[in-house]
Amino acid sequence: MDRQSIHGSAHGEARSRWKICRSTAAFAVAGLAGCSGGGSGSGDVPLPPITATSDVPESDADASRFLMQSTFGPRRSDIALVNANGFTGWLEWQQIVPISLARPALEAQAATGDVYQQHRVYAWWRNSVRGHDQLRQRMAFALSQIFVVSDVAGTLGGDPVGMAEYYDILVRNGLGNYRQLLEEVTLSPIMGRYLSMLGNEKADPIHNIRPDENYAREVMQLFTIGLFELNQDGTRQLDGDDVPITTYDQTDIENFARVFTGWTFADATNWNWPQSNYRPMEPWLTYHDTDEKTLLNGLVLPSNQTPAEDLEAALANLFLHPNVGPFIGRQLIQRLVTSNPSPEYIGRVAAVFADDGTGERGDLFEVAKAILLDEEARHGHTDDPVNFGKLKEPLLRQTALWRAFDAYSTIGTYQDGWPDGPWGQAPLRSGSVFNFYSPFYRPPGEMLDNGLYGPEFQITTHTLITSGTNRLHDLVLWLNDSNTGIDGDDVVIHTAYERGLATDPAALVDHLDLLMMGGQMSDWMRDVVIDHATHVSMADGGYDRVTEAIYLIATSPEGAVQR
Amino acid sequence: MSGSKNGADHMSRIGNGISRRGILQLGVGAAGLYAMRDLAMVSSYAAQGGGGYRALVCVFLYGGNDSFNMLVPTSTARYAEYLAARQNLAVPVEDLLPIMPTTNDGIAYGIHPSCPELRTLFDAGNLAIVRNVGTLVAPLTKAQYQAGGAAVPPQLFSHSDQQFQWQTGVSGSVENVGWGGRVADVAGSLNVGSQVAMNLSLSGSNTFQVGHDTLPYNLGTNGAIKLSGLFQNWNQDRTAAFETLLDAPHSNRLVRQFAGIQRQAIDVQGVVTSALASAQPLATVFPDTGLGRQLRMVARMIAIRSTLSTSRQVFFVSRGGFDTHDDQEQDQPGLYADISRCLAAFQAAMVELGVADSVTAFTGSDFGRTLTSNGDGSDHGWGSHHLVLGGGVRGGDLYGTMPSFQMGGPDDVGGGRLLPTTSVDQYSATLARWYGLTEPQIASVFPNVGNFATSDLGLML
Repeated sequence: MDRQSIHGSAHGEARSRWKICRSTAAFAVAGLAGCSGGGSGSGDVPLPPITATSDVPESDADASRFLMQSTFGPRRSDIALVNANGFTGWLEWQQIVPISLARPALEAQAATGDVYQQHRVYAWWRNSVRGHDQLRQRMAFALSQIFVVSDVAGTLGGDPVGMAEYYDILVRNGLGNYRQLLEEVTLSPIMGRYLSMLGNEKADPIHNIRPDENYAREVMQLFTIGLFELNQDGTRQLDGDDVPITTYDQTDIENFARVFTGWTFADATNWNWPQSNYRPMEPWLTYHDTDEKTLLNGLVLPSNQTPAEDLEAALANLFLHPNVGPFIGRQLIQRLVTSNPSPEYIGRVAAVFADDGTGERGDLFEVAKAILLDEEARHGHTDDPVNFGKLKEPLLRQTALWRAFDAYSTIGTYQDGWPDGPWGQAPLRSGSVFNFYSPFYRPPGEMLDNGLYGPEFQITTHTLITSGTNRLHDLVLWLNDSNTGIDGDDVVIHTAYERGLATDPAALVDHLDLLMMGGQMSDWMRDVVIDHATHVSMADGGYDRVTEAIYLIATSPEGAVQR
Repeated sequence: MSGSKNGADHMSRIGNGISRRGILQLGVGAAGLYAMRDLAMVSSYAAQGGGGYRALVCVFLYGGNDSFNMLVPTSTARYAEYLAARQNLAVPVEDLLPIMPTTNDGIAYGIHPSCPELRTLFDAGNLAIVRNVGTLVAPLTKAQYQAGGAAVPPQLFSHSDQQFQWQTGVSGSVENVGWGGRVADVAGSLNVGSQVAMNLSLSGSNTFQVGHDTLPYNLGTNGAIKLSGLFQNWNQDRTAAFETLLDAPHSNRLVRQFAGIQRQAIDVQGVVTSALASAQPLATVFPDTGLGRQLRMVARMIAIRSTLSTSRQVFFVSRGGFDTHDDQEQDQPGLYADISRCLAAFQAAMVELGVADSVTAFTGSDFGRTLTSNGDGSDHGWGSHHLVLGGGVRGGDLYGTMPSFQMGGPDDVGGGRLLPTTSVDQYSATLARWYGLTEPQIASVFPNVGNFATSDLGLML
């Protein structure tokens, strides 16, 4: 496709272009994708119409900042789309665009050969980089860092299809309801194996065997309510001695552990056998603890309930706990917008979690909307420039690069199966159920001294910061469209549009600032990059000048932080 | 690390021995501050003979090691209690490797069959085992625990919280600094002139090594990584622009934090890489496992201690996989075998380098595990046994108190979670004293240790 014509659409004729899209939906896909490079094969499904709203961005930079928070990286076409249709119009459209799933891709792979975890990661890149359902995928990725499972665990490493379906649960429910999500996660055999609820049996007192407490503990500590009673603004409730009040104790864990007994693989003919890798677990009454149980806030589950009745009541008990909104809301804000949201911001998001305006609790689409449209998300960079923002997650630095510069391989795949090597992060591959980093991590130094959280810094070690910078070196300076020695499976960035600007270094850098930094580049940095670009020869038609500038911005401290 | 915006050179970003707060508060140059601190600290060390080289190596077993299968009582009555509690998790008595501790407490003991190397180290007097160590604020009885009201560590049985408390050495504190970091705060000046941090992690970020003034440096198992396409003759322009962007007076704190880490990585990389390149290769062969590779790099860093001008080092390595809620019987032998082989290789390397008496490795872990089974595994517990290894260890003996394995007995607070009889503070203070801390320094680094009968478990020579 002619890059220049896309440029025209993105910057000059967005609104009229969109009218075309509306009237011919199938055409709209190619136009919106804006990057249908050879063999990518993305997006042949018709997209639904978008309904514009009046809350349009103040500027291209404003739109780009919003897209940094809500997608896997801004593209020129996305900026145009948000400019034309408003923040809310775009968000509501995102809720209805077709969903990109991972399991079908892995099943297709399985039909032709072996399937391994790297195939799951290939599918993740593809959906994250090319999926039209960007907001949903971004939410799913955020949720995958709350409802953690990992292929590092020996039990799951051999089951990429099951793990792909687990991720699809997060994708399907990422803009759905938290209660439904919690139930699907709980009954996933992948989670069942990861936190050993699968096969968990009622007590056998003669042999000193008790129900497994693993899921009971972590579903409370990590997936719903956390350790301490919270106010709706996320601050801890204190007792009379100013000590935080804990949400549960060991007795509560033991009661929940008894709830989570009696579940195993779907259609198992024997207890725990045969394995079904993705269909929801099913109950076996024989192994369920049917005694009375006392849960949070004194809720009593009567004796002789079925496993499903107990589970339903226990998940409701957790879901209705007032902590869920602020506890989960804060983490979603950290994943999308800023590491240090104000209590007021958390409170506003928690209020939407509690009631989306129609009386529904746990509406994740409305929560995402509240997070992204909040005044702090939209204006934090000017209201509190010293502390606002977040270190970009490593994988998002790579997806953003690939999206901004239309990256694809000639065979259409995204074969980067082990990004955790250079980045310390890969989808569903954290070292433990505590994710790659803690939402409460404070990096040592000035941030710790000032009480600032910075979760992503926990994996920004001296080793990984350098290997990440080196990865960007290869992705930009080696794997680009000037390279004639690339292989069919190499994912390559394409810079034709940027080369068109390269004779004017200032225009080039301003364009890169918009795409890569949401227009937040300091004047000082702008001067440095322009100066460097100016000194790179144009003898090759601008390839070097463009990639040098991209490399400097991508690896710079300013470029590493989303603001 | 990145607070010095006013022209202090890159040295000020290097973790060891630098007081960030001092620089920020006093506004004095890093060099001057160095000198003041060094004079005070060196004289303090000289007074108590803290010269020579010493290193501590924390081997953290993430997930909560079920150490009650690592050291097992084999006397008839004691084993019967063990078997009754553990049921299908128990190791058959005939499989255990018998040991003969120097001190006879009337109980016979065996080591897990996957750990023959540990038995050899124990027999050779290089390995000590400290029994039933755990997080405590003050000595605690079961009756006090059950009655409530006594000081109990917060968030018992929770991974993240108990890891935090093990690594801070202060149960109940929310301060985000570890005891290895606080030790380096007071001992940092011993590495006068070194460009490399005292605290070196082979396993990424951890609380243990973060001090008030000390920032750990992270190494990979192949050393420090070099930046591609920078710092060469042909890319001087790119390098200049890259460094200018890095060292800019950034206004946002997250940007500054990132810049500081990258700057420190660059500065230390050159020093470490050239020192490693000039060192004699290690003859000792390490297991090719994650833990083995980490410990091998620790040994290589110890080998270049003089080149780096360091006389004190604190290392952090780790291994995960100990959260054996299920399949414990299948998984535990492999976990134990890895620890055993890696620690044996490390000790051999220390002998090879001639520093066996100067290096002490010790284990830490989230918590012990329930004696009782959940069917095919164990759940989160409290007290657990720990290993201390090195030529400076009074090895071949057991320390602390062996708990009762009787269900509902005096040490069981429920489900076979055992009330610790030795605190993490006591265990850690014992190691810190060997490292060279004075009694006042011990008291300040471990504020709760005074609540216990002793801060010296007697296991170090």
